[in-house]
This record gives sequence, structure tokens and C-alpha cells, in this order.
Amino acid sequence: METILKKERLSEWVAQIGSRARVFAPAFADGLWNFSEVVAGTSVDFDYGNTVRPAKGFVFPQREVLYRFRQESGKAPELTETLPAAAPTVVFGVRPCDGRAMVRNDKVFTCGFKDPYYQARRDQVVFVGLACNSPPSQNCFCLSVGGSPHSEDGLDVLMTELDGCYHVKAITPKGKEIIESGAALFDKAQAADSKAVAKVHADADKHPQRTLAAMEKVAAGLKEQFDSPKWDELARACIGCGACTYLCPSCHCFDINDEITGSSPLTGERVRTWDNCQFPDFTMHSSGHNPRHDTGARLRQRVSHKLLYFVENHNIQQCTGCGRCISHCPVGIDIVRVATEVTGQ
Amino acid sequence: MNANVYLPALARITGIEEETRGARAIKTFRVEFPEGGAFDHECGQCAMLSLFGKGEVMISIASAPAVKDYKQFSIMKSGRVTTALHDLKVGDVIGIRGPYGNQFPLDQWKGRDLIFVGGGVGLAPIWPVIQTTVANAKDFGKITVFYGARSSRDIMYKADFEELARKAIVQLSVDAAEDGWKGYTGFVPANLMDKAPSPNNAIAITCGPPIMIKFVIQNLQKLGFTDEQIYTTIENKMKCGVGKCGRCNVGKDYVCVKGPVYSWAELKTLPQEY
Repeated sequence: METILKKERLSEWVAQIGSRARVFAPAFADGLWNFSEVVAGTSVDFDYGNTVRPAKGFVFPQREVLYRFRQESGKAPELTETLPAAAPTVVFGVRPCDGRAMVRNDKVFTCGFKDPYYQARRDQVVFVGLACNSPPSQNCFCLSVGGSPHSEDGLDVLMTELDGCYHVKAITPKGKEIIESGAALFDKAQAADSKAVAKVHADADKHPQRTLAAMEKVAAGLKEQFDSPKWDELARACIGCGACTYLCPSCHCFDINDEITGSSPLTGERVRTWDNCQFPDFTMHSSGHNPRHDTGARLRQRVSHKLLYFVENHNIQQCTGCGRCISHCPVGIDIVRVATEVTGQ
Repeated sequence: MNANVYLPALARITGIEEETRGARAIKTFRVEFPEGGAFDHECGQCAMLSLFGKGEVMISIASAPAVKDYKQFSIMKSGRVTTALHDLKVGDVIGIRGPYGNQFPLDQWKGRDLIFVGGGVGLAPIWPVIQTTVANAKDFGKITVFYGARSSRDIMYKADFEELARKAIVQLSVDAAEDGWKGYTGFVPANLMDKAPSPNNAIAITCGPPIMIKFVIQNLQKLGFTDEQIYTTIENKMKCGVGKCGRCNVGKDYVCVKGPVYSWAELKTLPQEY
């Protein structure tokens, strides 16, 4: 299903959806573009590159209460499950790299043991993508990791900006539904529109990007160079802040801890929070033994997880080339450069 | 198992055995499931134990799969949760979810001699295998159990060893000389070389401190054991137990799902991040 939405009608479509779902879109605040809930009556601005935070938080929030516990002294604990009562949520302006990351997150959270918290949110969210007419960041490399500026993977709708309008394509039944719900606002896509979209996409593909060698070559190189001294050299500046993984659209590692809210009776919450493979205690045993005991080993883990281990397990790279980990690293550690230097590809 | 993988069943502690004392004391906890939620397990599998307000810890199941009425966990006092567990009393209730991980391939070992090599609290993960194979001795060849501890006071399952010695060959060792000690004096890998079990139609299963495992495997290889004849079980820090939290991986494998049991032939292909 392909339709045309005039630019002046975008806010109206968003408002219509907003009457029955929570709507989020990129918004500029405190000097940063981030997804923000659209307040009724305000317009949506698509004049952004990419959000600083990725879209993963809509299905895997930074903090999630798994359940509450309550225990009277000397008695058995009572547990109360707190599965999210997820409301219908529509997220506008998701870049294709974040859409593709959702395919990766689905593999982690819905394959094997099913994660009910992720699933509850995933079922309720609609991702409306916006194709990149030009790379939004100087560190983009989606084309090198199997993606493209107009990839539909993981998205429910893909919008492409044309002259004075958006081409709006439904990818999934959920996407079709939100277009049909606002049917009166849309015009039928003509043959000329389809041609214009194809040209915008083809032009976007031609924009220069950072480049990484082919998936198989990088994976084989990382496997071979596990003991390379370059890992330590390239990680020397790392301060272990974790910006790379927090801002990564496909990093899914988490911690589980208890947060106590009362002592008599004992009450509290078991909470899951984003965690980070660049922190020293991420893997430290209680004995003090740490299998990944230095920054070199931890950088190797991050890069290898994205470009080797995920390939071995799922036959796709986990990295989708958004470039956030490069742009936001305070010491300039660059996954493209690291993978290239270590593998010599 | 609960539909929500993170939600534990409640289990009551019905027995606590003090195995060893001191800074790294070991206690064996017996738990039952009076409110339901009991589960079956296989040799080598683990379970996530919960103490509310403290957190969770992954512990190998030390009782044999044939034991259905209760489960047993031998736990060394080490971190936040295990220290708190050591303060519990009979009657206290904890959370348990599992079982997690793979299993020792006992059905592939039929008719073969079995040589168990344990050290310290590392006896616990292989204890259900020892119990199961000894109980089904007719299916296996000669069964030998090497076990070493720092001193005779640090030997786990003391009472059980007397019983075991009637059904299997038991080779105990202590690290340092002691008055009246009748077993071997020295480290476990040295005791193994001293007794030099034959690799002929045999399988060796080892678990203990990482440094012990390393030298046991080297010595088994010197004795002629192939990589396929050597099994071990490894541990890494875990939070979820279901292959999602991302910290227990050794290369591509999440130990909580693909492990903890590996043949050396499999394990040597993975990076040494354990």
C-alpha cells in the first residue's frame, strides 16, 4: 500500500492517531534531538538528522520493573508480576538503521525463551520510519552492514520525503491500519510518485558513507585476530563510560537488581536496567576473577558481539551502522576504524 | 516452568548442612516446593536462586535428577547473595527459577569407565552425575572419583564419601600435609598423575577452580585422553539465565543456555573468557 501525504497534513495525521494512541516523534530539546511524546495541538518537525537515543527504549526501556515483592518477617514472600500494560504507541521518524535494529532485538528477546516484557511492548508499538534522503551523520555506514537509507526491515511504515509531500508505504498490517485510519488525508500515489521515490532512494544510496569490509570478511578477521595486540592499543583511551552501548539501537545487555522500598515488612521491586559490557564489573565473578579484565578485552567483546558472534548465531550483523557509538564516544573510539585495523580488511 | 521466565517459584528450605567453615564456607541447602512450581532437571543443569531484597544467583543443582522430592544446592559464601543465603534458616522461603543450561551426555557414556576429578566447591556440579552413574553402575564401567580440598576440614559431603567408597573408587587429597591424613597430600592434578587412570574406553569429568581445571586437562592429555574424552562445566557471572542479559558469553555461546557443560573438544574452540 503506497500513498501520498501532503506535508501540511502530517500534523493532522499525527493528531488523528494521537486521539487513540500515544504518539512519539523526534523533538529538539536541550540541544538534542530525541523521541518525545507529541503533545496534542503541536506540529511535528522532521528537520532532524537522527535522534541521539535510539528507538529501542520503546520496547526495552532503560528501567523495567519485573515484579514487586513483599515479605513479612518470618513469612513467605508475596510476588506481584508487573507485566507492562502497554498502550498502543506510534513512533514517528524512526530511521531505517533503528528499524533494522528492531529485527535484531526481536531475535534476542523473542527467540528461545520468550521475554514477556519486551513482547508486551512490541505488540503495541508501530514504528513509522523516515528514509534518509542523505546520511544524517558523518559516521553513517548502513550500506556496509547490509542496510540502506531506505531499508524497510523492522518498520511498519516507511515514509520518504518528496517535494512538498511524503510518500507513505505500509510495510506491515499494523502499518496499513494506521494509514487506513487516516485515509481521507492521503492521496493515491501516482506512477510519477513511485518514480520520484525510486530516484530519491537511488540518490540516497549514492551519498558517500563510512565503509566496512563485507560481513564474512570482517567476521573471519575478528575470529582470527582474537589475540591481536591491537585491541589493547585501540582501547587505551577508553574510560568505560558506556555511551557506545547505551546509545546503540541493538545493544540489549541488562542487569537485574532489587530496589528496596520498605524494610518492615520488606517491600521492593526487582528491576531490570540497561547494562554495559564496557563496565569492569559486568563480568566480574564474586571471587574477583574477571574473564574480561581490561579495556582491550571489553572493546573486543563489543565489536565482536556486533560483527562476529551475532553473525555466528543469527547469520546477520547486529550492528546496523547508525554511527552513534562513534559520534558520541568522548575519546574517539570508532567501531569502523577498530574493525578495519584489527582485521586488516 | 512459569510463563514469565523471570518470575521464580517459591521454595522452602527444609535442610541445611554445614559442609565447611571459614571465610569461604560451604553450606548445602535442601529445598522443597510446598506451594507448587517443582521442576525436573538433568545432570549439569543450574537454577537461579532468589533472595528478595538481595538479588539472584545462579547455582548448579547438586541433587540427582532421580531425586524428585527436593533439590539440593551447595553454595560457597562469596558475594552479596550467597552471603545472605548463608544466614538463612530451615523454614525460610527463597525463590527459584530454572532449570537452565545443557546437561552431561550420560547416554553417550554407556559402558565406559568414568573418572571424576573435582576440587573444592567444584564437586557440587558433578555430584549429581556421580550419584546418577553410581546408582546405575551396571550401565557404566569402573567409576573413580578424585576429589581434593585445601585441608581435610574443607572436604564436602564427608558422610556421603564413606557411602560412595563402597560403590566407586575414591581418591581423596588435601593440599598440605596433615597429621593422620590417609589420602594423598598435594594438589588434585598431581594426585591424578600419581594414580594415572587409563584413558582406554574412559571419560573424564572435571570441575573445580579454573587453575585446577587447566592443569587437570593438561594432565589428562598427558595420560592419553583425547579432547572428546574430557568434559568440564564452566561458570560465568549471570543475571537472566535465559541468554539475553549478555554477560556470560564465551565467544558466541551464552553459558547459561549453551553451557555450562562442554567437552574439551568443544570448549577449546571458544575464546578463553571464563
